[in-house]
Amino acid sequence: MFLRTLSFIASAVLFPALALLVPSPVFGQPTGQSAGEPGAKSGGPVPRTQDGKPDLSGLWQRPYVPDMTKTTKDQQGTADLPFTEAGLKEWKAYDAAKGDYTGACLPFGLMRSMNSTDPIQIMQSPKYVALLYEQNSWFHVIPIDKKHGNGVPTWFGDSIGHWDGDTLVVDTVNFNGRTRLDTIGHPHSDALHVMERFTRTDAMHIAYEVTIDDPKIFTKPWTNKRTFTLRTDWEIMEYSCEENNKDLYEGHLKPPAR
Amino acid sequence: MRVKTAVLVGGIGLLAASLPLVAHHSFAAEFDSAKSVSLTGTVTKIDWMNPHIWLYLDAKDESGTVAHWQCEGGPPNVLTRNGWSKDSLKVGDQATIDGFRAKDGTNTCNARSVKLPSGKSVFAGSAEDGGPNKRPPTQ
Repeated sequence: MFLRTLSFIASAVLFPALALLVPSPVFGQPTGQSAGEPGAKSGGPVPRTQDGKPDLSGLWQRPYVPDMTKTTKDQQGTADLPFTEAGLKEWKAYDAAKGDYTGACLPFGLMRSMNSTDPIQIMQSPKYVALLYEQNSWFHVIPIDKKHGNGVPTWFGDSIGHWDGDTLVVDTVNFNGRTRLDTIGHPHSDALHVMERFTRTDAMHIAYEVTIDDPKIFTKPWTNKRTFTLRTDWEIMEYSCEENNKDLYEGHLKPPAR
Repeated sequence: MRVKTAVLVGGIGLLAASLPLVAHHSFAAEFDSAKSVSLTGTVTKIDWMNPHIWLYLDAKDESGTVAHWQCEGGPPNVLTRNGWSKDSLKVGDQATIDGFRAKDGTNTCNARSVKLPSGKSVFAGSAEDGGPNKRPPTQ
């Protein structure tokens, strides 16, 4: 499966991420399990890599989270967001019809990518974890046990990871502030600090918890939780947002102001 | 065949999709949930392409005038995983599309359901994109 996946996604844009990971001997998925499907209760024990860490590798189906404040069968949100005065003003002023960066195929950014419905392929080595988003064929690489860099602020931010017991903790800062947290448009600023926790609870599931901290927009951190399900019956697919984006090309929606 | 713009009648028998269909953009960025549309006519073209499929329909209004419509559907990857293909609907098929009009007033819509004259549903819409909570049928 890995070789087929590798050949499929080894486009120029993904190659840098994969090049970091190819030397790793710890790819792999649990064997002898049934195809993952939503609602699968369990699939056996947590698979582990050669260094003893939980193996997060695989193609994961995720619930679509268009509104992080909701609590549904798919997610546990924070109902009343603790907006600052500036944050509330930004939220009330948002109108996607005046400009939608995702409709223009600009990068969704970390949270809106994590909230999208398309599956993600996770690849893991002792030094890196890479998230390959099917959504628009983007990727994000998380160095393990490194320090934040001082790079240019970006759409997905600067992530570093570490293991807290059996949980992968990903700490991300240095965002450009041009994205939204979710489809409905909850705001954030360039001061956004995202803490994600990935815990493989059994062979079939990852418990995902994210904490949003942004002192310019929120008075205190808040969380959202959901569960990812392994899909051994799927392969990641190519997704070109630009291919036939009639919404933008024909002017049915507006790109964001620059 | 006729074109009507009216409040969409609820309970049109849509079944829950096995996968949500999501737009690469917010529904509200482009479409008006207060302007539903029901189009019946002949399929003239199908774009089975990212980020959304597009269906083209020649529909006659009450006066017999043919209007050319284009309607956005779901992403092909999601539709494929739900069991659909570009051959699920063919050029020349008669079809009824229920959806919502674009805010810009052009003959553009967001398809929430597509049905053949037999009543059989085929792939459709971009549900759960912040738009009206209508899910497309499963195959």
